Amino acid sequence: MKKFTSARISQLLFLAIFLVLFLMTEYRGSDRIGVAVNAFFRADALTAVSTLLAARGWVPFLLPGVVVLILSALLGRFFCGWLCPLGTILDLVTGRIRKTAPLQWLKGSVKYWLLLPLLVASLFNLNLAGLLDPIAILVRVLTFFAHPLVGETARSGWVGLYRIIGERRDVLDPGYHLLKDYLLPFRDTLYPLAFLSALIFLLIIFLERFETRNWCRNLCPLGALLGLVARLSPFRRVPAKICADCQSCRDLCPTSFDRELLQKEECILCMECQLHCPNQRVRFRLAGFHPADGGVVMERRVLLGGLVGGFFLAKLFRFRDPQAQARLLRPPGVRSEGEFLEKCVRCGECMKVCLRSALYPALSQGGIEGLYTPVLIPRLGYCEYNCTLCGQVCPTGAIPDLPPERKKREVIGKAVFDKNHCIPFALRKECIVCEEHCPIPQKAIRSEEVTERDFNGRPVTVKKPYVVDELCNGCGICENVCPLEGKAGIEVFAVKDRTPLREGETGGGEMIDDPYS
Amino acid sequence: MDRRSFLRVLGLSYLFHRWLLRDLAAAGMPVLAVAEGTDYGQITRRAINALGGMGRFVKPGQTVVVKPNMGWDRNAEQGANTHPLVVKAVVEACLNAGAKKVKVFDRSCNDERRCYVNSGIEPVLRGMKGVEVKYIADERFRKVPIAKGMTLKEWELYDEALNADVFINVPVAKHHGLTRLTLALKNVMGVMGGNRGSIHKKIDGALADINSVLKSHLVVIDATRILTAHGPQGGDLRDVKVLNKVIAGTDIVAADAYATTLFGLKPADIAVTVAAYKRGLGEMDLKKIRIIKA
Repeated sequence: MKKFTSARISQLLFLAIFLVLFLMTEYRGSDRIGVAVNAFFRADALTAVSTLLAARGWVPFLLPGVVVLILSALLGRFFCGWLCPLGTILDLVTGRIRKTAPLQWLKGSVKYWLLLPLLVASLFNLNLAGLLDPIAILVRVLTFFAHPLVGETARSGWVGLYRIIGERRDVLDPGYHLLKDYLLPFRDTLYPLAFLSALIFLLIIFLERFETRNWCRNLCPLGALLGLVARLSPFRRVPAKICADCQSCRDLCPTSFDRELLQKEECILCMECQLHCPNQRVRFRLAGFHPADGGVVMERRVLLGGLVGGFFLAKLFRFRDPQAQARLLRPPGVRSEGEFLEKCVRCGECMKVCLRSALYPALSQGGIEGLYTPVLIPRLGYCEYNCTLCGQVCPTGAIPDLPPERKKREVIGKAVFDKNHCIPFALRKECIVCEEHCPIPQKAIRSEEVTERDFNGRPVTVKKPYVVDELCNGCGICENVCPLEGKAGIEVFAVKDRTPLREGETGGGEMIDDPYS
Repeated sequence: MDRRSFLRVLGLSYLFHRWLLRDLAAAGMPVLAVAEGTDYGQITRRAINALGGMGRFVKPGQTVVVKPNMGWDRNAEQGANTHPLVVKAVVEACLNAGAKKVKVFDRSCNDERRCYVNSGIEPVLRGMKGVEVKYIADERFRKVPIAKGMTLKEWELYDEALNADVFINVPVAKHHGLTRLTLALKNVMGVMGGNRGSIHKKIDGALADINSVLKSHLVVIDATRILTAHGPQGGDLRDVKVLNKVIAGTDIVAADAYATTLFGLKPADIAVTVAAYKRGLGEMDLKKIRIIKA
């Protein structure tokens, strides 16, 4: 490991902030989350640019990302060398990985082949940037893989302890609760795509076998984007070429000095060359504007190929299985699927923060274009009536941050009874657990008392539930708590028309009469 | 004092004490204390004191479980959870009686973190010494055989409730879609594990079964405000009626029977109460219950 240079201190600081923010992306007794890990996404130039392209308009809270982009045009890729938590992790582990030769096929245009289609697809209303965004990759591996793994392990140990020593375990309670409150996830949720998320991350680590910062210099689309604007930077290293008499830079430089000329779009401003130059020759200084330096950015065929690739990407992966669509429930406040796909960067934060672990990354529900986007699965968790956390942490406003009174009226879907399963209909026995849990103050699930004969011919009076469609916001608690095993007797289905419930229907304001009575 | 006079005093005081108690219990009739007032802490204390004080139930060094309703993400005003000041007064009375530890918990229906906070119960108890407000841990449910069970032969119950020396049942009086009202007998659902929704098929018998194995040593019903419709979670203040009352008693059926009248209903209207009465868990005939205004 290198000594504590300014760059390294900054890296460790931001990695620590990143991890703390990640842990803070959770309900901690207050309706609002002050700061969350979305701060990193807001400063993420790639997701900012792709979202602005897709939205074709200004989104105010993406300002930090744009600022980073402008700063990169002035300074260079400082984000990669000083801030990016994934870069920091690579720097921390790379010393322990023995290197073979660099992979030649990764050199050159691969990163543009990744970056361009992502940005062009955004232009065609499909925001895929998050799939390969380094911050998103890191948040997803933590959310879907590492955090649940740690939580599961700690909890099974804790449960095991109870099985052995029973109530005497309470002595250790304060310690475990400290751990639980600050380090472990509240619920032991397992996620689909955990394996893929881990695989992508491990692959990036594995690439360190070939050269340092392999991902950062040859693949990362955020790095490629920042590199493109970094070429404009008037802040440059002198001498620009490697000095024939010394050549120490070849070993010192983590990214760009495997060639004769410093590759400006790959320099991450770690300053190692300046700090360790045996002859004290190296300086970083303002040297005016020479955008033509550094040769061609990419060949024409890469540019054209990237553009066409993005177009295909946005158009050809639109196939969706209609049956899966029926259950494609989006987080509260998402009114149109199209607009959602423009803005959602698939970072996984909403799923991390969801109070009831109701949100899961889509594997196939939304087609290939919907990979990793959040889907509500009511049988696993429901949308908590008073909770607005997902909207608060969404970095791009794909899930709007609404005040509780408005969020309660947002329609996720509509509940429908399946009378072949629902206990009062199928078995002629009492139940209405769904009605009990329905959070709408006027109750979107109600029941009528019906006297009929049971299957032995004896008269019984049973409360038979029904849904008041105008009041249902599709939160899914009914489906979640249905005491039937496996398939529930009531299910929430997606609807196209997600016009919010009228005011007053969620308590306060005038009482809405039962339209069926 | 010589030995003889000491014994005489001892004997007399023993008899006298018993008479007092019997007088209080009016020859075996269950007693309910009903206190009314706008200071909810004070009326709770008055109701408990009218029964002979918390010292009658809690001995020094004992572990007490206080089980409120805090199953819903609703605030104190909305009447879906037990009022925090009532819970606090009960907990304080236990501590004053010398309880070693008072545990307060509920298996909530909404997110437990939000319920504990929004109900106002966790904030009001925060920092009190000897008080534990923890979330339910699934592994602590223990299968309990129900010997006289008619609907349920066994069920998973929470070990802390089973192991406590004293179990104090502190429900809020409110409407319920299925059982019409939910009171003390139904409040024990909060210590039931497993798929408890499935008992709704025959809830009156099931609750009688559970209450036959988990006895409430003291019942304190919060009727400071009652939810008259759209229960058990409400949410609309127009369904909330302020009564400023607290009912305390040792007979869980009697307490539920009396609380039923606050809604303009008769005890016989509530199937859960009737089932528990038939099971011999208490008295539901209001004429056979002595009510003290405290």
